[in-house]
Amino acid sequence: MSVYGVMLASFLTASVEWVEAFTIVLAVALSIGWRRAGTASLAAFAVLALMTLASGFFLRFIADAHILQFIIGMFLVLFGLRWLAKAIARGAGLKKLHDEAEEFAALRADAKLHDIRAGQMVAFQGVMMEGLEVWLIVVALGVQTGRTGAAAGAAIAALLVVMAAGAMLRKPLANVPENTIKFFVGSAILSFGTFWVLESIGYIWPLGDFALPALLLFYAAGGLLAMKQLDVRKALS
Amino acid sequence: MKSFIKTTIGDRHNLLAAFGAVLLALLVFETPLRPFAGLVLPLALFGGAVYLARK
Repeated sequence: MSVYGVMLASFLTASVEWVEAFTIVLAVALSIGWRRAGTASLAAFAVLALMTLASGFFLRFIADAHILQFIIGMFLVLFGLRWLAKAIARGAGLKKLHDEAEEFAALRADAKLHDIRAGQMVAFQGVMMEGLEVWLIVVALGVQTGRTGAAAGAAIAALLVVMAAGAMLRKPLANVPENTIKFFVGSAILSFGTFWVLESIGYIWPLGDFALPALLLFYAAGGLLAMKQLDVRKALS
Repeated sequence: MKSFIKTTIGDRHNLLAAFGAVLLALLVFETPLRPFAGLVLPLALFGGAVYLARK
């Protein structure tokens, strides 16, 4: 798998998560100040960085490459399946689209944000929860391809882009096409998971590495079709 | 811890859909229909995604 593929998947996943984290930190910062909210966020980023280093280190002790590939593949399947299903449901109108502006307004209305300790905890937990999915993708793609540095670098680049956009706009990044990104990233991650799970048990893909884009096409086209079908059924019911 | 597990592996429906699809593909892989495992897994996972979307 090319380094660009790893970086793109990592960058897009991280972008979606950092946008959501930014909304939380912005709401907290407007209540208790940027310095306090920033400190709590930095602490969460430090924990995530430590987790990435530690998991990358410990996963190397799994001597059998096939077992490692199966474990990573399963995590990617679980992740990709969840994102693809969520994107299909939202695209078909079965679930409400994630609205950053609405999320921001709800957070701002929360009285506990005005308490310094509680506000810092909300910022810390918000960054941690959104960052966990970034950690998972960086470690899974990075360890399996031997490109953890590139995957982590792409996630950090996404963070810088989101921070720069947030600093310029000074409001939640509500115009990011979150569901579209989630749909394609979910399809891509599910493709990697499918490919590696079967490869780890000795299955030889007929198209070799070209099976990956074929899988991506299958999941993306199938997902679009499912969205339309579910949308039609919803309209008829 | 609960949030950590939910964020990394999802809820029980997600687990059921993922492990069900992989188990089915592994079963096919152990039969003479082995070459079709590469067809069964994506189809089963896609079915799982639609099931989760409708849930």
